[in-house]
Amino acid sequence: MLIKLTGGTVYDPASGIDGQQQDIYIKDGRIVAMPTDAVVDKEYDLKGKVVMSGAIDMHTHIGGGKGNIARTLLPEDHRQDPVHRSDITRSGCGHAMPSTFVTGYRYAEMGYTAGFEPAVLPINARQAHMEMADIPILDKGGYVMLGSDDYLLRMLTAKKDQKAINDYVAWTMQSAKAIGVKVVNPGGINAFKFNQRKLDLDEQNSHYGVTPRDILQVLATAVKEIGVSHPLHVHGCNLGVPGNVQTTLDTIQGIGGLPMHLTHIQFHSYGTEGDFKFSSGAAQIAEAINRNKNITIDVGQILFGQTVTASGDSMRQHANHKHASPNKWVTMDIECDAGCGVVPFKYKDQNFVNALQWAIGLETFLLVNDPWRIFLTTDHPNGAPFTSYPHLIRLLMDRSFRNDVLSTIHPEAQKMTSLASIEREYTLQEIAIMTRAGAARLIGLKDRGGLSAGNWADITVYTDNTDRQKMFEKPDYVFKDGQLVVVDGKVVSTKWGTTHVVRPDYDPSVEKGLKDYFDRYLTMKLGNFKISDDEITEDGRGSITVHPLKGEVA
Amino acid sequence: MSALTFTLKYKPAQRVDLSPLVCHQLADLSLADIGAILLQSGKLKLRVDELFTIEGSDTQDIVINNSTDNLDFIGKELDGGRISVNGDAGAYLAFGLKSGEIKVSGNVGLYAACEMKKGYLEVSGNAGDFLGAALPGNKMGMKGGTILVKGNVGERAGDHMRRGNILIEGNAGDYCGSRMTAGTIAVMGRTGRYLGYAMRRGTLLLWNQPTLSASFNDCGAHTLAFLPILFASFKSLNSRFADASIAFNRVQRYAGDMSEMGRGEVLVKL
Repeated sequence: MLIKLTGGTVYDPASGIDGQQQDIYIKDGRIVAMPTDAVVDKEYDLKGKVVMSGAIDMHTHIGGGKGNIARTLLPEDHRQDPVHRSDITRSGCGHAMPSTFVTGYRYAEMGYTAGFEPAVLPINARQAHMEMADIPILDKGGYVMLGSDDYLLRMLTAKKDQKAINDYVAWTMQSAKAIGVKVVNPGGINAFKFNQRKLDLDEQNSHYGVTPRDILQVLATAVKEIGVSHPLHVHGCNLGVPGNVQTTLDTIQGIGGLPMHLTHIQFHSYGTEGDFKFSSGAAQIAEAINRNKNITIDVGQILFGQTVTASGDSMRQHANHKHASPNKWVTMDIECDAGCGVVPFKYKDQNFVNALQWAIGLETFLLVNDPWRIFLTTDHPNGAPFTSYPHLIRLLMDRSFRNDVLSTIHPEAQKMTSLASIEREYTLQEIAIMTRAGAARLIGLKDRGGLSAGNWADITVYTDNTDRQKMFEKPDYVFKDGQLVVVDGKVVSTKWGTTHVVRPDYDPSVEKGLKDYFDRYLTMKLGNFKISDDEITEDGRGSITVHPLKGEVA
Repeated sequence: MSALTFTLKYKPAQRVDLSPLVCHQLADLSLADIGAILLQSGKLKLRVDELFTIEGSDTQDIVINNSTDNLDFIGKELDGGRISVNGDAGAYLAFGLKSGEIKVSGNVGLYAACEMKKGYLEVSGNAGDFLGAALPGNKMGMKGGTILVKGNVGERAGDHMRRGNILIEGNAGDYCGSRMTAGTIAVMGRTGRYLGYAMRRGTLLLWNQPTLSASFNDCGAHTLAFLPILFASFKSLNSRFADASIAFNRVQRYAGDMSEMGRGEVLVKL
């Protein structure tokens, strides 16, 4: 079947097309060049419409144990937001942490066609993949979490060479079916277990004698050397601590030019100036990002309202539990791997700190020059549920709207931000870079995030509207792998996305030391730890897409 | 005007959500409109006039006759007016009651007066578990008003209770007053195990000596001047609580739960 999308205004940064009218042809799920003689089976007239590839959320907590802990902790989040079944969609519920099916539908209804879970604990990777397997329409993938696991820390204490660490990282990625590696509060989650309640970049883990700087260095090197496209995904030290802007700047300097992605950087950009000893470090951070081309970031914007924070950073979540609203929270250790903390939050525009957090995120968006190195996230659900993205896009694209909202927040926070003076408004092309082409490039997805021939036909069509929130809330059409899944912001058919992975090589002898470690310390045997392809594909709806390593020919 | 009366024609096979039949939602509706309201029952939606014979016209005075224990959410978030239930009521009776009065002649199910805000609930029979409690996961149960139960109540009465009075003429089950933040629960009959489990503040007023956990401290015998005032406030009730002969002002006082904030009190008649 040949589908023709006629006359849309195309924004495809991947091939440098910025708002040009052109036709797109879809055949067998992929975008194809204009066929010379084939008959068009179905044509969509998109004259005057905006066409982009399907959006990709490169950091969203949609799978893994902490989501279920959040759901269990917040039954009211589900009671207050029921979603009924329809003939083609299943029922579900939830505002801050929706159920899996609702997650897929809501993402698709905003024009998203892929989401990546950034915190897959190796020991819980099977559950994370099974949960993501229940998210319809979206493609998905996971970044496996390392850095606070006892095995790596033992290797560092024992001064194992980089090659051994590379093997361990590659082996873990393959075993857990990951496409990236994330480190959360490097070594801090482990230090928490040895009763440390904070851990700075150069502070030693009291048991292992290893510093976060060491961990970042070896992991970033490993990710680069084994050829994984997505740079080390870093949730840094001191999340949420006033003054952590210095830690973040030191982290950028300390990585010594290696590729590194700093995630939800808004939470890591706080100074200590002003009457409340809390100020914006966004300008310094943005300057450092602009200068260091090896660094990419996503923002982790907060937006006002009720949500829940779910993080592997048990150290910082424990410290923040007194802010829990409603007043209930969970933190836990997870075997020898890491930890977990779930703290519900209500961000309030009349709260000085929250209001300034909001402004810091926006400052970061607007002060970082290169849209290829900054990504639109709320760190769902930590800053806000992903359903608030259209509102966030409007804040970025519409200065007068932004200033209107700014004038309503806590007055002291207004004084502490330079936001009102920033004139920049994001363009459609820049939004397309941040949410599509850039994200696909960052993660290393081949055949996604672009609209040139050969790409999978993940396509979103919007009606141009100066109210960007309305525009991005309700796409006219969304195609996933060439199948029309959304019309006028409502799911009209469903399908199953694929799971994106990479398969870096390792020396099989790595398992010798690991087997002994598993037998002695973990609840699971090594053989069971490794996830086979069948586990993802055998139900007939999941599939695995392997992406090339750097230097490989696609 | 005569009371708007719903008489149940048959006992439905599945539970029925009766939450649309509250005074403030029916105020401007004709009988035909009311008859056409759809009620969720399992997978089905039933018309009100399919399930009930409807008579009368005063939507601020609702009577439900032949009521059974599978009619749930009677008087949900009632905001003024009166509902009288002849027979039993199901779960979540008077859920989130805002104001007004609900009376039931028979027994009621789980979570009666769950997260009630204000108003008055009277149950002539027994009440199930979680009377005046919070929904699972929520932190605040009953926030005000008065509940009178003439029979016995199940477990966890007043769980997470915040304010108001629960008056029980009969016995209370285990965990009575668990996780209370404030408010008063009075029990004339016996109480079960784990009385006041994890209570922070609030008062449990008892006529019979309870079995107390080790985390409650005996604070000795007291004569409390506020008790006659409290009993006087029950005078208008259609209850043994209104009877001057049951009142007392001399109590043994226990403080707890010391594993929590420990500012709650159990007062036992001496």
